Amino acid sequence: MSLHIGIVGAGTMGAGIAHVAALHQCTVSLYDIHDDIIRRGIERITADLKKGVEKQKFSEEEMTAALKRIRPRTSLADLDTCDIIIEAVIEDLLVKKDLFKKLDAIAHHTTILATNTSSFSVTSIASVTKKPHRIVGLHFFNPVHLMNLVEVVRGEHTSEETIARALEFCQQIGKTSVKVNDSPGFIVNRVARPFYGEALRLLDEGVASVEEIDRIVRSEGGFKMGPFELMDLIGVDVNFAVTQSVYDQFFHDLRYRPHPIQKQMVESGKLGRKTKKGFYNY
Amino acid sequence: MKANPSRPKIQQGGSSTKKKTGTRQQNVESSILVVGDDSLVAEYSAVISAHHFQLLSPEKIKSLKAFAKKVSLAIELSNLNLEQKKKNLILLDAALPATTAILSSSVTVSVLEQTEWITLKHRLAGIAALPSLLQNSLVEVAPSVHTLEATMEVVKKFFASLGKEIAIVQDRAGLVLPRILCQIINEAMFAVQTSVASPGDIDTAMKLGTNYPLGPIEWGEKIGFDQVHATLDALFNDMHEERYRACPLLKQLAVTGKFWSK
Ligand SMILES: NC(=O)c1ccc[n+]([C@@H]2O[C@H](COP(=O)([O-])OP(=O)(O)OC[C@H]3O[C@@H](n4cnc5c(N)ncnc54)[C@H](O)[C@@H]3O)[C@@H](O)[C@H]2O)c1
Repeated sequence: MSLHIGIVGAGTMGAGIAHVAALHQCTVSLYDIHDDIIRRGIERITADLKKGVEKQKFSEEEMTAALKRIRPRTSLADLDTCDIIIEAVIEDLLVKKDLFKKLDAIAHHTTILATNTSSFSVTSIASVTKKPHRIVGLHFFNPVHLMNLVEVVRGEHTSEETIARALEFCQQIGKTSVKVNDSPGFIVNRVARPFYGEALRLLDEGVASVEEIDRIVRSEGGFKMGPFELMDLIGVDVNFAVTQSVYDQFFHDLRYRPHPIQKQMVESGKLGRKTKKGFYNY
Repeated sequence: MKANPSRPKIQQGGSSTKKKTGTRQQNVESSILVVGDDSLVAEYSAVISAHHFQLLSPEKIKSLKAFAKKVSLAIELSNLNLEQKKKNLILLDAALPATTAILSSSVTVSVLEQTEWITLKHRLAGIAALPSLLQNSLVEVAPSVHTLEATMEVVKKFFASLGKEIAIVQDRAGLVLPRILCQIINEAMFAVQTSVASPGDIDTAMKLGTNYPLGPIEWGEKIGFDQVHATLDALFNDMHEERYRACPLLKQLAVTGKFWSK
C-alpha cells in the first residue's frame, strides 16, 4: 500500500525528503508558508531527479511519475489524511512547538507526527500535543537523496506502534534506520563531537598542524576527510552551533565543551568553503 | 645534520636493504627485535617480515647480550603494562650498541618520560602504535627533545622500506590519531552505557551518517578495549580533565575483551 506523506517545510531537508518519498511510490503533500518557496523546492527536486536519470539510477518515466506524486499545499488542513506528517521547518523550538500544536489538532488520530529536528528534544516538542505517543523523530541527513541513514528517535511517550510504523516507512523509502532514545545529538551528532573537539585541541596544543592532522586522520585512520577539511565543508558556524547545542543540552558536561578557536573563526567570518576561507583558503 | 661528535653515531641499520622490496632476499646480517603487547608484536612482526626483514624472536630480549650486535633496530610496543615497558627499555638500552636506534610506542606514555628510564636518550623515538593502525599507509612518529636526527633518519628509512609515509608530531601521550579515535570510541561507549542506542546501531549510524570507515564499537573491538582504555587513562592522567575519563563500560570491556551483547 502506498503511503501518503505530508511534509511541512520545503527547504533543503523538506525538499530532499519529498524527493526520496515520491521516488519510492509515496504520495507527498508538500507544505510551506509561501507557494513561491514550494515552487523553488520542487524546482530543486526536479534538478536533483534529473541528475539521477543522467546517472541511470532510475528512468525518465520514474522521474516524471515521482514528480506527479508531489502535491504543493499551502493550507495545513490539507494534510489531515496523511499517514505520516514530517516537520522540516527552521530550527526554532517555538516555531516547531506552535506547528505541532496545530498539526495535533488537524491530523487524523492515526497520523504519525514526525520531526526532523537536529538539536531539539523530541519529548520537548511532543509536550505541546495531546497525543505524544504518536510523535517521533525522523532525523534525515543532508543531502537526503544521497545519505542513506535515518535516526528514528523515540521520545519519552512515543509508542511501540509509532516506532514500528516509522521504521517501516524508512524501509519503504530505501533508507537504513537506527533506533535512538531521545537524547542530545542523538547518535551521529553526539558521537562525532570528539572528531572535531580533539582535533581542535591538538591544533591548539601544537601537537600537529591543520594539514598534518587532516593527513594523519585520512592516511593513518582511513577516514575520507580530516576534521578540518570536513568542518570547512559543513561550515565552521554550523559545526560550532551543533557543538554548542549538544554542550548546552548536556548541561555543560565538559566532554562536549566547544573550543574557542571555533568561536573566533565564526566571528572573523572564516566559515569554510562557503566564505572561501576557513581552516584552508579556497 | 652533522652528528654531534660527543654523541655516538646511529647506524642506518633498519633499512640497509638496497635490493628492491619484492625480492625474496633477506637482510641477513641485521635483524629487528620487536617486543611488547602481544597484539602489537604480532601485527608489527607480520608487516616487517612481509618486507623481508629478519626478525628476532621477542624471547631473545632475555639473552640479548649474545645477539646485541645483530640487532639493527629495536621496537618496544608495550602500551598496557608500563612497568614491563620500563624493564624492556632498560634491557634494550643496556645491551644494544650505542649506535642502535630504539623505536617505542608513545601512546600511553610520552617519549620524554620514557627517556628518563634509560641512559642513551638520543636513540629513542616514539610511534603511535595502536593495534590495527599499521594496516594503513601512515605512521605518526614523535621525537623527544633528546632524539638525535640520526635516530630520526633510521626511523624514516625503516618506515619508507615498509612502504609507509610518516608524520612527525609533538611528543604527547596519545599523539594524534589514537587520541581522536579513542575519544570517539569512549563517547560511543557512554551512549551504549546510557542506552541511547544499541552497539550495532551506533556503528551503522557512524558509517552511514558521517562516512566513518568503521563503526566505533567494531573499531574498539579491533584495537582491543584494553588498549583503548589504557590510552584514555594516559590522556586523563596527563591532563586531569573530565573529558578524558574512561567510560565504566569500556573499563569492563577492557577486562572481558569482547562485546557480549552486540
Ligand atoms: N540542513 C541540514 O543539514 C539538516 C540535517 C538534518 C536535519 N536538519 C533539520 O531540518 C530542519 C530544516 O532544516 P533545513 O536545512 O531544511 O532548513 P531550510 O531553511 O532550508 O528550510 C526551512 C523551511 O521551513 C520553512 N518554514 C519556516 N517556518 C515555517 C512554518 N511555520 N511553517 C511551515 N514552514 C516553515 C521555511 O520557509 C523554509 O522553507 C531543521 O529542523 C534542521 O535542524 C537539517
